[in-house]
Amino acid sequence: MAPADLALALTALACLGLRLAGVWLAGGLSTEHPAIAWATAVAQATLAAFVALALLAPAGALAAVPLPARLAGLAVGVVVCLAFQRRLMPALLAGLAAMLAMRALL
Amino acid sequence: MGGSLHHGGVSSPLLPGLREALGAPGAAMAATFLAFGAAVQEAGLSAGWALLACWGIYGMPGQLVLVQAASLGWAGGIGAAVMGAVAVNARFLPMAVSITPVLSASSRWQLLPAVPFIAVTPWAAAMRALPAVRRPDRIGWFLGFGLTSWLVAGIAALSGFHLAGALGPEARAALLFVNPLYYALLLAADLDRPAPRRAVLCGVAAAALALVLPPSIALLAAGIAGGTAAFLLGRRHGAG
Repeated sequence: MAPADLALALTALACLGLRLAGVWLAGGLSTEHPAIAWATAVAQATLAAFVALALLAPAGALAAVPLPARLAGLAVGVVVCLAFQRRLMPALLAGLAAMLAMRALL
Repeated sequence: MGGSLHHGGVSSPLLPGLREALGAPGAAMAATFLAFGAAVQEAGLSAGWALLACWGIYGMPGQLVLVQAASLGWAGGIGAAVMGAVAVNARFLPMAVSITPVLSASSRWQLLPAVPFIAVTPWAAAMRALPAVRRPDRIGWFLGFGLTSWLVAGIAALSGFHLAGALGPEARAALLFVNPLYYALLLAADLDRPAPRRAVLCGVAAAALALVLPPSIALLAAGIAGGTAAFLLGRRHGAG
């Protein structure tokens, strides 16, 4: 088996195991249970940390986009999202356009 | 009669989730997986590998860890690459725990078909939409959303693989920006509810841990530290 295929198979199995373990652990608990509230907070905090790192300290091609352009895209996207009844698609397009415009200006 | 036929055509429980997935979530996912497909091609891996990585792992940070290891010729060993990929995707565990009661299946077996789709995009969309969906329809909604996202991800990765040469660094940077922006919007839309607000603010603060920890565990550590702090703050508010 090629190294890439072996690594893919092992990672896929481990990720499936994590998902199954979560479903099994939560079986029978209600949304109000403290363990569920904690797991939800951890999942949301992980996502927030992922977003913060991806926007503030990205790796790869996104690192070539200047920080002010990334922040402009984020700010415009969030403002449009909150101003237009939390509709995500217009906010996504406005944020992307703001990032591209700022990058072109800098 | 035309009316009843029409009604029969749209009554599948999978359809509302499918429709939801084709909006902003699908656009954000397609952009990220296009960039992923291009990275797989550049790392010298096959199109089949790109597709299986999307569907088998279905968690972008982990997928990227493997691609990066492949492009370095697995210099650090397969074991280290797999552990790094699993560690950055370890959020699947708390996500699976938190979504299980929301899906409100009558038994664990009923949840099995939904398990492969537990990933950030379907999880975030489901936590947002499902409380307004009738309990018996929730698994169907999630399967409709998950299957659609899977297909979008796979098609986008294959397209990215074949378009790699045409995607310059500028285009790739724009594609890579869409995904964190989409998640940031999802989180911002939730900021008026106290529990998610606490978790988001604590998670952003805990992201600073990445300055001192190795990248493979930084995200997991930030999530656990930030989430636990948010949970404890919430308990104190509830008690006081």
